[in-house]
Amino acid sequence: MESLPKNLARDLKNIVGSKWVLTDRDRLLAYESDGLTAYRSIPLAVVLPESTSQVSNVFKLLSQNGIKVVPRGAGTGLSGGALAEPTSVIIGTSRMNTILELDADNRRAVVQPGVINARLSEVASPFGLYYAPDPASQSACTIGGNVAENSGGPHCLKYGVTSRYVTGLTIVTYEGQVLQLGGLGRERGSYDLVGVFVGSEGCFGIATEVEVKLLPKPEAVQTLLAIFDRIEDAGRAVTSIMARGLLPAALEIVDGATIRAVEASVFAGGYPADANAALVVEFDGIEEGLGADVQKAVSDCNNSGATEVRSAATSEERQKLWQGRKKAFGAMGRIATDLLVQDATVPRSKLPEVLLKISEIGDRYDLNIANVFHAGDGNLHPNILFDRSDSEELEKVELASTEIMKLCVAAGGTITGEHGVGHDKKSYMPLVYGIEEMKAMKKVKTVFDPHHGMNPGKVLPADI
Amino acid sequence: MKNTMQSPEHGSSESPLTLTSLTEALRDQEDRLLPCVHCGFCLPACPTYVRLGDENDSPRGRLHLMKAVVEGRMSPKSKAFQTHIDRCLGCRACEPVCPSGVEYGLLLESAREVASKAGGMSFLSRALMGIMARQPWTNWFMGWARIFRWTRLPKLIARIIPKLQVLHPFRFGLAMLAATSETHLKSFTPKSSKNEKEKNDIIQVQPKGRVALLEGCVQSGLFSRVNRATERLLQVNGYEVVTVTEQGCCGALHAHGGATDSARKLAIANLKAFDSDHFDYIATNSAGCGLALKEYGHLLEHDSKHSKTAYAFSGKVRDISELLTMSNGPKVGGSIPMKVTYDAACHLCHGQGLLTEPKDLLKAIPNLEIIDLPGEEECCGGAGIYGITHGDLGVSIGEDKVNAIKNTGVDLVATANPGCIMQIGAGLILAGSTITAQHPIELLDESYRRAGYYAE
Repeated sequence: MESLPKNLARDLKNIVGSKWVLTDRDRLLAYESDGLTAYRSIPLAVVLPESTSQVSNVFKLLSQNGIKVVPRGAGTGLSGGALAEPTSVIIGTSRMNTILELDADNRRAVVQPGVINARLSEVASPFGLYYAPDPASQSACTIGGNVAENSGGPHCLKYGVTSRYVTGLTIVTYEGQVLQLGGLGRERGSYDLVGVFVGSEGCFGIATEVEVKLLPKPEAVQTLLAIFDRIEDAGRAVTSIMARGLLPAALEIVDGATIRAVEASVFAGGYPADANAALVVEFDGIEEGLGADVQKAVSDCNNSGATEVRSAATSEERQKLWQGRKKAFGAMGRIATDLLVQDATVPRSKLPEVLLKISEIGDRYDLNIANVFHAGDGNLHPNILFDRSDSEELEKVELASTEIMKLCVAAGGTITGEHGVGHDKKSYMPLVYGIEEMKAMKKVKTVFDPHHGMNPGKVLPADI
Repeated sequence: MKNTMQSPEHGSSESPLTLTSLTEALRDQEDRLLPCVHCGFCLPACPTYVRLGDENDSPRGRLHLMKAVVEGRMSPKSKAFQTHIDRCLGCRACEPVCPSGVEYGLLLESAREVASKAGGMSFLSRALMGIMARQPWTNWFMGWARIFRWTRLPKLIARIIPKLQVLHPFRFGLAMLAATSETHLKSFTPKSSKNEKEKNDIIQVQPKGRVALLEGCVQSGLFSRVNRATERLLQVNGYEVVTVTEQGCCGALHAHGGATDSARKLAIANLKAFDSDHFDYIATNSAGCGLALKEYGHLLEHDSKHSKTAYAFSGKVRDISELLTMSNGPKVGGSIPMKVTYDAACHLCHGQGLLTEPKDLLKAIPNLEIIDLPGEEECCGGAGIYGITHGDLGVSIGEDKVNAIKNTGVDLVATANPGCIMQIGAGLILAGSTITAQHPIELLDESYRRAGYYAE
């Protein structure tokens, strides 16, 4: 096993404090994977700095010694974005978890990257504000990780993904240079480098301060739960709701297998346990007019074959419905020891057809595939359930995954909706992009990271 | 690596243990480990991860360490396993947020057993467990503690000892003892006390059930007043209370500390003492003991002779707040015009899922102003003697709780576990605060006294 040279470990400890440099192999095991456990690799070391200047000094030291760096937030990512090769050092942001500024009058906040997504909304709540992007893992994932992955969430159907809310960044490059991108008073009149950095999957540098826009909480919210016998019917309901020009805040489909896993958990949403598919429809905005939209959506569900449509009467009921949806991934542990949460998008109108074909792929490889996804923007999350100790099954998972990706691309979609490409999906990049396009991406990376020391082995295939 | 070693804390056992047999306790639990899919939802709920930021100090990280030991990738003697398993508070705040329902608390006990067999445990832990495992020793120890408490010296000395790192365990230990003193509520008497001595007849209809009370070691040694209050409250609320004389320590301290064999012995002794066929309920007023009793079934699941009795026993265990809030209870008492806040003991709210019930006891007291405590479900850092054994971290967790309590501006904080009363009380004493920590039962008892439910 590789090990960090002693003098380097000592110098790192001098920068961040000895408690915050992990080099003992046994303590590094916890960092061998993120939320995607199918791939594992033990890093050379883990460093946990607490400020921009510490990050910069750590970078300077590592880049001078030619050691590559992998950034890590809460390790909830599902594309292996925080997977570190045995020769790389992880820089974790867990100790940079302060909300530096909450400027309620101007609806903005400045946070350190380790701040948990849901906490920002909690702190903004007394001012009538919230942070809109809401990944299902928002109770645990960090804003820094959201910036890296350009995370979405159920409500990005109406509100858009992270890039729409990040207005400024302080970043540190692999060479240790600190740069201010955008920020108060500098949003316009220059190249949009904030836009370039958001979604760069930790391949450009580490954001150590993030300035975000906050939104006023909607005046009213109404949430519907429609139950279907067939998942394709739920897909059809989605198509008709969107086709008539309604803009729900969220449109989420949960299939039968997922419903049963979640209903067995402490986050039971009250979904009927025998249902084959459930559609969650949420509208928000000003009180007037909301009811009319809801009525139209109800009739769309009924016309598509819903066996039952109910509406959340209280905010507790609404929270419960959402818990059921958002804790689905974790709850899968009840029915399988390992799972691969795939992420791909297709045009909405293709949902029923693609869902059928995914279930055929599952049958062909004799794999259980559970579906829980953002139907409104055609963002699928097939959860492939497996047992890691069975190497034959692991191989089947990879083959099935590839087929699903190809299917989605052939339907006019793409290989990721929000989880990022990371390690898991870089081999699918050529399905969507040509060589020249990928080379252009690499050139952009080289601008920020000329020595290619940031998050090696992610996003772009090795031969680009 | 050398594969044989002696069991360090069980002097009587001479047989060499192999690494394989060391990990057996955990391997038995493999099915409980598998549901963790590494989603990370537990991270922000963990008091040690939130403060340290090291994933080895998170529930997911600790489960990963356990898995590594089971898979043979790591020795249970390894510093990482020893340190991070020991550093867990055992608060179980990770359990209610886990979508997969990983039974972390049970796994931790097995991990502690494996860790202590491989690496031993601190002198202080061993000494305390040794005392608690033998009733005469417990009585002797508690007797001296009570005498020392009576002199009022512990509080005085704790406050004048210099704030030096090396003196911390001594200073904090004294403050914990001082925190067990009774708070006199006389100053919180209503201005017009007309109703105070009004006699209320206790109308006994059909008794709600026969109840046996677990006395507990710390509870009977330093908080016997809480036990007596518990009996009075049960009687006023229509229960028949029966005394069980042969009972002993519940073994929670031992199970949580990794001395699982001792915990099993204590559990079996209690199964014999409380012949559960004779009671409808077994009541506890200590969150930690209550959870331990409720988990006797699990503790003895591989013991073919006792497992059935143990499950039956566990099925009858109720926290006092559960019994008193059943069927329209508890009876409303007399007025206590004071401000209190409630801190949820981890082993009640996370371990037993009881958050509203203890608060309902306080709500039965007229004129008692209950102020919400921000972060009421976060661990106070008590966790046995964590405040003494884990200097810096224990102090930082404790201080956060003390500050939150001080900010509410209350006269008293109620919490339903002796360890938490001592931890929070000690923190308040050392912070120079006049706020005291008490069991909610004591408040309700005083309220009943004021209502005239007791013949005096």
